[in-house]
Amino acid sequence: MNGLWLVADREIRTRIRTRGFLISLGLSALLVVALAFVPKLLGGKDAYEVAVVGAVPVAAQDVTYTKYPDEAAARKAVSGGKADAALIDDQKVVSEGELDQRLGLLLESAHREGKIKASGLVITPLQVETGATAQYQSVRTGIATLLVMVLFFLLIYSSMYVAMGVVEEKGSRIVEILLAAVRPWQLLGGKIVGLGLLGLLNLAVVIGGGLIAASATGLAADFPPGMGGIVISTVVWFVLGYAFFSALAAAFGSLVSRQEEVNSVLTPMTMLMTLTYLVAYFAAVEPEGTLARILSVVPPFSSMVMPVRTAAADVPIVEIVLSAGLMVVAVVAVLFAGARVYNRAVVRTGARVKLAEVLR
Amino acid sequence: MLEVQDLRKRFGDKVALDGVGFAVRPGEMFGFVGANGAGKTTTMRIVMGVLDADSGEVRLDGTPLTYDARRRFGYMPEERGLYQKMKVAEQVEYFGRLHGLGRAAARDAAGELLERLGLAARRDDAVEVLSLGNQQRVQLAVALVHSPAVLVLDEPFSGLDPIAVDALAEVLKDRCSSGVPVVFSSHQLELVERLCDSVGIIAGGRMVASGAVDELRDTEGRTLLKLVVRGASPGWADGLGEVTTDGDRQVLLVESGDDQEILRSAMRAGEVEHFGRQRPTLAEIFREAVA
Repeated sequence: MNGLWLVADREIRTRIRTRGFLISLGLSALLVVALAFVPKLLGGKDAYEVAVVGAVPVAAQDVTYTKYPDEAAARKAVSGGKADAALIDDQKVVSEGELDQRLGLLLESAHREGKIKASGLVITPLQVETGATAQYQSVRTGIATLLVMVLFFLLIYSSMYVAMGVVEEKGSRIVEILLAAVRPWQLLGGKIVGLGLLGLLNLAVVIGGGLIAASATGLAADFPPGMGGIVISTVVWFVLGYAFFSALAAAFGSLVSRQEEVNSVLTPMTMLMTLTYLVAYFAAVEPEGTLARILSVVPPFSSMVMPVRTAAADVPIVEIVLSAGLMVVAVVAVLFAGARVYNRAVVRTGARVKLAEVLR
Repeated sequence: MLEVQDLRKRFGDKVALDGVGFAVRPGEMFGFVGANGAGKTTTMRIVMGVLDADSGEVRLDGTPLTYDARRRFGYMPEERGLYQKMKVAEQVEYFGRLHGLGRAAARDAAGELLERLGLAARRDDAVEVLSLGNQQRVQLAVALVHSPAVLVLDEPFSGLDPIAVDALAEVLKDRCSSGVPVVFSSHQLELVERLCDSVGIIAGGRMVASGAVDELRDTEGRTLLKLVVRGASPGWADGLGEVTTDGDRQVLLVESGDDQEILRSAMRAGEVEHFGRQRPTLAEIFREAVA
């Protein structure tokens, strides 16, 4: 076991000092923080200033009326940016550029309400009742969509690092002296554990950065209850997915001796990951669809679909347990098969080793 | 004592090793020689556990080698490999720790070894900026850092300048005299002859000769009768053996025949300057064995 930790320790020490790691860490944090600000930027204004000439209409939510003596003064206020729009004699709305859609609706309904009141008619507004969860639906979908990207990015890049590390050691033949000192499973396990911890660190930065930015922008107020559960499930599923894909990456990587061959040999794995990503993306939008429900228990799709589904909707605990159980079985199977391929292929330098040869 | 017994290994249809065996006593330096592709590297990789033999066994002090026993070996593979971007001292220390040394012990051992190999000034340089000769020294340091109980070195001298060869030879002799069995392969037969107590010659996956260098020179190959005669007329030795002329001297090498009779005819032909048996050099034994 000691050998494994020594290897993991070296992986962390060397990788954490590289510019590539620091850049990707910084970029991913920046991305999440930026995303937390997007709703605020896109959400438009939540308070309007309207210049009024003539009769002041019925009060409307989020709208402040300011009286102006004549149309020219009101227009000046609009073009000068003092007011978002001008209401002239309860007949005409003037705005600079396109009228804000929400403001338009607000003014329109205030206008109607005023007319209705004047005619003596009384209209009771419709009462809207929503389910407790529905109120968070859009936020949950947003979080789930973000989660898909984060998981995909972290899984693929951590797995790539594992494959590249395996090829580096095989290609430079250093693996021969390493294997004279540690067992193959220690070398492989140390690499997977070390790079996995770095992946977790990156995930923590992303989650932490996102949460901090969300509370800074006030977005956190809209968070559904059970955010803690979503975070925990993300971390657990990341670990499972990473174990699965990194074992695959190590096995495929050990077949080749040169870095230039890594991409082509990893194609089956990256395709599987991309497929998982696409499925998970649909699951974020439609978490209760049949496809999402089935694939959220089928490994390795479950590694991304399930956390996304749990973020987007309420998933029965039975399904979660079943899904996690199946994924653990798949991870163990892939780790064994991967270690077998790695053991046999990693000292066979030179031409690419055929997978069938080493699996027998 | 390191014993290699009857190793056999096939790669597909190709037989790489067909019953390779030899023994190296503690404190003995064993030279492993053979042509390219003869099976030296395969044998050494099997000894180190990098490859598995189809059959046969490697024993240390009578017990089959286990993983833990191998961890105490020092190994320098034919294809050198180091982490190019890792610093020299850090790398040597890392391998010391992988071989089971504690943090402080590994640091001390690495420092001492780098000092001894003349790399102390480069300890904080990345391996990739070193010259090839210096990289080779780091490779050696990696093999030696944990004070191995057995040394297995595949072509350790290749690519070294004469001064570096002497330095490496010194280090190996030093380890050897402290009771460590040392096995190394080499193409430089003079070097093997100079350094090794015993040699093994491998050809086509089989051991064709092995034993103490002196014994081999006595028993293997042809021991020739050599005469140097001055002033003899050409043609006096026709049919006796191989004659080369050097000025007024003729050198005669005789494979078999009545030596006294040959001496008499030589004395009749001219002035005999030298008469004696010439033992074959290792290079000659090698050429004959692998021919």
